[in-house]
Amino acid sequence: MAVITRTQKKAAMGITWDRETLIQHRAGVLDRTRETGCYNGLEKLPLKEAEPIVFERLFSKLRSGVVDARETSKKIAASPIVEQEGELCFTLYNAAGDCVVTSTGIIIHVGTMGAAIKYMIANGWEDNPGIEDGDLFTNNDCSIGNVHPCDVATIVPIFYAGTLIGWAGGVTHVIDTGALSPGSMATGQTQRFGDGYQVTCRKVGSNDELFRDWLHESQRSVRTPRYWILDERTRVAGCHKIREMVLEAIEEEGLAAWQQFSYELVEDGRRGLLKRIRSLCVPGKTHQVSFVDVPYEHPDVNLVQPYAKINTIMHAPSTIEIKPDATWALDFEGSSRWGWHSFNCHQVSFTSGIWVMMTQTLIPTERINDGAYYGTHFHLPKGAWMNPDDRRTAHAYSWHFLVSGWSPLWRGLSRSYFARGYLEEVNAGNANTSNWLQGGGINQDGQVHSVNSFECAADGVGASAVRDGVEHGAAIWNPEGDMGDMEIWELAEPLLYLGRNVKADSGGGGKYRGGSGFESLRMVWGAKDWTMYFMGNGYMTSDCGLMGGYPSAAGYRFEAHRTGLKEAIAEGLALPLGQDFDPDARGYEDALASGAIVKRDQQCVTTEAVFEEYDLYLNYIRGGPGFGDPLDRDPRLIEDDINNFRVSPQHAKQLYGVVMSQSDDGSWHVEAGEATAERRAQVKQERLARAEPTRAWMQRERQRVVDKDATFQVKQMFASSFGLSEKFLREFKTFWDLPDDWQLTEEELHRDLGVPVFGATKDTREDLSSLPDVHVVTFVEE
Amino acid sequence: MEAMQAPEVLGIDAGGTMTDTFFIRPDGSFVVGKAQTTPHDEAEGIVRSATDALKQWGLTAEQAFPGLANSVYSGTTMLNRIVQRQGAKVGLILNRGVEDFPPMRAVQSFSGYSYEDRIHLNTHRYDAPLVPRQYTRGVTERVDGKAHVVIPLREDEARQAARELIALGVDSIVISLLQSYQFSAHERRVRDICREVAQEMGKPDLPIFASCDYYPHRKESHRTNTIILEAYAAEPSRRTLSHVDKRFKELGATSDLLVMASHGGTVSWKANELARTIVSGPIGGVIGAKYIAEYVGRKNIVCTDVGGTSFDIAQITGGSFVIKQDPEMARLVLSLPLVEMDSIGAGSGSFLRINPYTDSIQVGPDSAGYRVGMCWEEGGVDTVTVTDCHVVLGHINPDNFLGGEVQLDYDRAYKYLKKQIADPLGFSVEEAASGVLELVNFNLRQHLRSVISAKGYAASEFVCISYGGAGPLHTYGYTGGMGFRDVIVPAWAAGFSAFGSAAADFEYRYDKSMFINLGLDSSDEEKTAGARQLQEAWDELGEHVLKEFEVNGYPREAVTLKNDLRMQYQGQLNDLEVDVPIPHARTVEDWERIADAFEERYGEVYAHAARSPELGFSVTGAIMRGTVSVAKPRIAEEQLAGATPSPEALVGERKFFVPTQREWVMASIYEIEKLKAGNTISGPAVLESPTMSFVVPPGFRTRLDERRLFHLQET
Repeated sequence: MAVITRTQKKAAMGITWDRETLIQHRAGVLDRTRETGCYNGLEKLPLKEAEPIVFERLFSKLRSGVVDARETSKKIAASPIVEQEGELCFTLYNAAGDCVVTSTGIIIHVGTMGAAIKYMIANGWEDNPGIEDGDLFTNNDCSIGNVHPCDVATIVPIFYAGTLIGWAGGVTHVIDTGALSPGSMATGQTQRFGDGYQVTCRKVGSNDELFRDWLHESQRSVRTPRYWILDERTRVAGCHKIREMVLEAIEEEGLAAWQQFSYELVEDGRRGLLKRIRSLCVPGKTHQVSFVDVPYEHPDVNLVQPYAKINTIMHAPSTIEIKPDATWALDFEGSSRWGWHSFNCHQVSFTSGIWVMMTQTLIPTERINDGAYYGTHFHLPKGAWMNPDDRRTAHAYSWHFLVSGWSPLWRGLSRSYFARGYLEEVNAGNANTSNWLQGGGINQDGQVHSVNSFECAADGVGASAVRDGVEHGAAIWNPEGDMGDMEIWELAEPLLYLGRNVKADSGGGGKYRGGSGFESLRMVWGAKDWTMYFMGNGYMTSDCGLMGGYPSAAGYRFEAHRTGLKEAIAEGLALPLGQDFDPDARGYEDALASGAIVKRDQQCVTTEAVFEEYDLYLNYIRGGPGFGDPLDRDPRLIEDDINNFRVSPQHAKQLYGVVMSQSDDGSWHVEAGEATAERRAQVKQERLARAEPTRAWMQRERQRVVDKDATFQVKQMFASSFGLSEKFLREFKTFWDLPDDWQLTEEELHRDLGVPVFGATKDTREDLSSLPDVHVVTFVEE
Repeated sequence: MEAMQAPEVLGIDAGGTMTDTFFIRPDGSFVVGKAQTTPHDEAEGIVRSATDALKQWGLTAEQAFPGLANSVYSGTTMLNRIVQRQGAKVGLILNRGVEDFPPMRAVQSFSGYSYEDRIHLNTHRYDAPLVPRQYTRGVTERVDGKAHVVIPLREDEARQAARELIALGVDSIVISLLQSYQFSAHERRVRDICREVAQEMGKPDLPIFASCDYYPHRKESHRTNTIILEAYAAEPSRRTLSHVDKRFKELGATSDLLVMASHGGTVSWKANELARTIVSGPIGGVIGAKYIAEYVGRKNIVCTDVGGTSFDIAQITGGSFVIKQDPEMARLVLSLPLVEMDSIGAGSGSFLRINPYTDSIQVGPDSAGYRVGMCWEEGGVDTVTVTDCHVVLGHINPDNFLGGEVQLDYDRAYKYLKKQIADPLGFSVEEAASGVLELVNFNLRQHLRSVISAKGYAASEFVCISYGGAGPLHTYGYTGGMGFRDVIVPAWAAGFSAFGSAAADFEYRYDKSMFINLGLDSSDEEKTAGARQLQEAWDELGEHVLKEFEVNGYPREAVTLKNDLRMQYQGQLNDLEVDVPIPHARTVEDWERIADAFEERYGEVYAHAARSPELGFSVTGAIMRGTVSVAKPRIAEEQLAGATPSPEALVGERKFFVPTQREWVMASIYEIEKLKAGNTISGPAVLESPTMSFVVPPGFRTRLDERRLFHLQET
């Protein structure tokens, strides 16, 4: 070993390389990385350079091994989330807990499981409870890096001849974690206490066998023990497969080769990222922003904590800086504070999750590992929603804003791609991956059950600069999106399909249209004591179109009770079936009994509501944003959209400025010649008539800022951002040319409006690090 | 001609460009013919190809066809019809409210992509749906997952839908309703209504397809696609096949034309479920391997086929193929029993590049295909391939590629390997080329190993058969160190797939989805009822199978039936096909034996620790297969000669670079046709024929047995 040397030569009796303790080993790796800028001080890659074939052989073996572990073991699972949707991931780590290779799947967990390993290392797990060959550890603790409690990880240390030489980790998204409400991503809880059963890197087995106390405790802590146990067997089987493969590789290539490889490949990954950035991007900064609504002041959001019952907006401004040496920095200064909702997330979920997105665009390669993390400078302000400074925060649906917080990065990168001429790579952004249909009770088989539909794995995709976005095809957390077969979902859920169709007008308009989402109309069938709820964006669109394109449509909620459908079916009357083509026309309601209770509004976050047999629930999966001015869209594409029910005629007329007519058979013809050209010229004139000079507009807006003339939600959002960042406040004041004494604080909102702002000041927050004997691991600049 | 010498079996491989025919005599001797495929009238190309083959024996088609006991067709026309969207104009009736689902779910935007493109979102795209939305109609009805009617069928809507579709001029109507795999009455009623309407509208012969009559399987998108294919592509193909059959009969043939099907047997062109003949070509080799296995008395075989573009692996365990029930093909999710094949995009034509982001050698995934590589200038490629490595290392004779028909250019291969691979890596050309081969061989070996271990097996339980145009160039590389019981390279490896399709069983297979849930604590009555329910399904499927054979004139007693099933632990979503050890299920003991067989299989596939009997068991599908005996190619047996090849078999010596040892040696070159049974050759040697090169490096030895199978051993 030429490169990996001992930095701390005290007479340690640790369990890893050179008998170092894990703490010493990790500290050494970080020191060498800091000193050289190269991972573990690897300014050269001796194994790759001298023995490229051995290097490739090892890569090929280990990579195919983790993929194979995932493919084989997922068939053990019973949960459609794991088996149909592929919500599982296996990763191999080096002794320091850095990812070497990872499987396909939810690769956000490259970082989250790594964070758990690093937490074990930093907190002396080596001494107590001890780390031995054959041990099994479980983690789903969100305060140390996990995304949300339903992502449960199994971690297995890999030993060779008594030395810890790596780790295998596997994670599955379980269907229920025993949170306040049934389903994997409950709403209604506003603190960790209620977010679901959480386990902190607990030793749950030894000698490859799970402890009985663990099996008993864990299964009774969740609503769906059968899914839980099969998911756990899936993870254990996969981790053991990986361990077996690593030991085999060592037999074939030697221990020294594995040791060297397990660090070199990380550095290789770091260099790979830099090369991609260099070849696809231009140096410079792009700024972008996103928002999402947290509409908690509503009768259908039942909360125990009164201070949480307010409407707020989450805020994520971001800056991408690509430096001339092709390194880059991602800065989220100005983000709003964490809140009393379940949409907060840990810094590692945020940073690691970014790789899920980047592998879809910047680095679509199987060679993704922690090298990308070491090649990126992250700045996440401490106290922000993605880096909370309070140990009480809830995280069950951190994706609510993760998906939208990252979406602007597509736009920033796309500007770079566009500048380089990679028009095909441009992407206007991802959809808000919702609605989440969740709930539970007694299912059609008479068992206690939770449901968590993953239909929203197939959202519309943002448009590129050369074609429309992919229809109902992907989620930011899974590029291989799949809505699943209806007959499978009907097995898993006591909900009958009365409709499944493309959602008209859901994709953002543009020269190239955002991909459409879709909608499923479900009728409760065979359940008892059943509840369901909604989760997604409703009052705000959480993405933004690109270069003149429009954002995708925001969500809305439709549920119906006392529908009278039993009688309507018996009497052969009209039924609500298929598309809710024009929500304003309220077509479903025409087929419901006169006394039906219908909720059709933008309240897309709700808590458990009781659903009876024949009640209805619309699961509307969002579309993607558009690219370019809609007036430039080819009329033939518009005609096709209308005739395939993807765009409504009224929407087409309004947005695309086309002249059209309907034939006797109902089909539409969009005029592609002069009539449309004239109409479009007219629309441009109308736009000009509405326009005003930027300076004039800014002058007017500035006065509103000075007067603090905004809704509570907007003011609270900015106040919470200002409260965390002097820098952001300064920038804001400079931009709007505000007086020096201009201030906006959460306290003043409380004072003036009487709205509770719990947690607004430092002295009302308590960080995890304040707990005794806890060494928090920090992964970003704060 | 003497009757003894007349060919007995005809195999046809009708590709997109060329049609191959393969005639074999009872003594095992065979001829291969080639002609261009004639899409306007496929029979014409087949007869031309047959004429080309038969002339080698001085026979005409009219002389040979009357004596044929069996002719088997495999081809890509149905697949092409689907890929090019040139099928029939199909009308589709679905549940009202879900009319969009075929274009939404039945196709996937990343289907068939390499890993890197699967995650690279902006590359994703959909193919056009097989049935445009304007030919789709909905009817109101719903049945739940337990086969209870929730919304009764509204027959007037079915009538209206049929009227509208027929008025639009559709060629056929397909009906697929949700949950029909377990409740078929509504679908069948719609089918009958369509028939009535067709009659009324003067189209009494309009084909009407109900999914429950063909593919009663869970997952509506798979089932619907498959039944659409039946109408869209299989029916037009049936017309083609019927025409070929008629042409053969005109030439004097007396037996019906058979067609290779996805489940690994042949079916008649008259078969009810003809869509399963969509894939036939690649399966031929697997069947050939199974056939050889039976000859050599082995039950566990792993079949490896290295072609120009891909490496395909299939397994035969306990004498049976591994079957996949819901495969993806032509970017469509389907519901067909398919001989499971794992492929990676690495073949002799795979392009080699230095990946600009990782500075590592990248093999494929794209390939030069028939354009070979830089060593063949006329091919017009600009990137080096694996074949170029073979040429510079002396593994392929540039003067004897395809029997000398294609002259390869050593200097060109050397020059571009140096420029594109060796120089950037700072290696000599030999080091670079052998590094590539090592990597390719390693990847093939790794893939082979993972396929075997994923099913819970060890290589030592298997015989590996290696074929395909490039297989024998790599056999040593991917089998070395694996510990197979035996490694076999047929002397006719390059024509192996055509041989294989002629060796298939005439077999019908019917499958049915079902649910029988039984726990460890189920009562004896429940277990007996479960066993009986299973038996009823087998009886029903058996009837289907027997009826299929009746159409081809086989009496019931001529058919051998074999019952199997698919099973899982309760609540799971993946089932396993289980070889049922008993012919009937009637009693508690029968049930226990079935459950034991499943547990045994499950433990093999996923590890014993993953067994979960406490969850209870679900039988998810019944399977019935029926076969009748048909004439198959016989493998000639030669007299054993001595271990030393005759001097005329040794055609010379050539410089040969040994990849694993990184050194040049002199290798003996043998002509395969002149080697005799019993001859044993130690490496370094290259055994050549016009269609293949079989590399035997130092440390390996091969013996040709009396059936002209080479056995490769490490020494």
